[in-house]
Amino acid sequence: MVKAGSTGELSCKFFAFLPVMLSEAQRIKRFEALAREYGADLFRYAMWMCGNEALARDLVQETFLRAWKALHRLQNEKAAKSWLITILRREYARTFERKVPPIANLDTVSEPESGEPGPDEQAEVRLLRAGIASLAEKYREPLLMQVVLGYSCQEIAAELGISKNAVMTQLFRARQQLKENLGKDGTTGDVHGLY
Amino acid sequence: MDFTEFKRKLGAEPRSSDPEFLAARDASAEHRDAAMAAERFEERLEQALDIPVPSDLAAGLLDAPGRRQRRRRWPLALAASLVVAVGAAGLVYRSSHSWESVEAYVMDHYRHDGARVLELAADGAAGDVQEILGAFGLQAEPSLAGMVRLVKFCPAPGGKGAHMVLNTESGLVTVFYLPGTRVNDRQMIDFDGRQAMLVSLEHGAAVIVGGTGHSPAAYYTVVHDAIVPVDRRS
Repeated sequence: MVKAGSTGELSCKFFAFLPVMLSEAQRIKRFEALAREYGADLFRYAMWMCGNEALARDLVQETFLRAWKALHRLQNEKAAKSWLITILRREYARTFERKVPPIANLDTVSEPESGEPGPDEQAEVRLLRAGIASLAEKYREPLLMQVVLGYSCQEIAAELGISKNAVMTQLFRARQQLKENLGKDGTTGDVHGLY
Repeated sequence: MDFTEFKRKLGAEPRSSDPEFLAARDASAEHRDAAMAAERFEERLEQALDIPVPSDLAAGLLDAPGRRQRRRRWPLALAASLVVAVGAAGLVYRSSHSWESVEAYVMDHYRHDGARVLELAADGAAGDVQEILGAFGLQAEPSLAGMVRLVKFCPAPGGKGAHMVLNTESGLVTVFYLPGTRVNDRQMIDFDGRQAMLVSLEHGAAVIVGGTGHSPAAYYTVVHDAIVPVDRRS
């Protein structure tokens, strides 16, 4: 199950009234809390955007290196996730200014150990992964922000610089395309019940 | 909220806490069925998006640059012999990646983040060279480890590689480690007013990128001799 900010307790209390000027120890503690809280979600986001594990790691590492360098600029802890995502998206854009490698085949991604989905569910998940990878970026990115990062439509709109209505349309179309992709496959059990 | 609007909302924000939307869920059997189907879809979607995160990701991120900086106070001694040799033959390149050659990779990679990583290295040390090279079954000899100012994973022709910045007597020098890649040893690449030198290693290759006007050849020996398999460290 993907849950944004799954270790949210870690940072909220700690960061409540942080001064802008931090001691080195505070800076490190603050950085570590950010890395623990958002590192995994940023990796998933990067992985789904670029489809390459090495590049995703590079993007996340680069993001946190930049975050470390500019940590004093983060004054409002509630904005931390958005701040990190903005850095990551900028890095991603720089990476692909010249080269846009195809999304890798994510069928090879291993299933999380927990949950043990049955064959039908696994087939659906595989189809969904293929569908997500083939979504146009303008549909995939808001979907990732909503499901992986837990953003609201308003937050997605702010991050992408588009209207909330446009975000809702893109999210609707993203899901519609994924459902259509599932519907094309006649081998899975209950996919038709998803409509 | 009519059913058409309800379906639109379900497709865009199925877990919305909007009171009007929540109230509409129980408006009719049709609404309820649609909401249940949407919830099943969301569960599958979450499963699909929930790709595993590398177990060593957090450790790499938590290796805060500041902490690393305080822990390491290595002298900048460099005992590298000067080896100047220019290979003339073409590259022997083995990779499944989309870069056409090692030359293309080196130029693309360095133009992408070479200057920025040098800037970050100048700002503070980061990364654990043994941890990063350990991911490839390698270790750095002290002669190299003592010079590494910053190290991180990076894209490489074979998938994942390592990007290092060495703190040398003549300034910061970039080194890429490329697992599973073969190159012509000591071949030079000229680009953007700087030179890069290819280093053939037993397990892959390395590329030394010198600063503007500085030859990377001075660091050939230390790079060539100091990236060694874990079980063969001297």
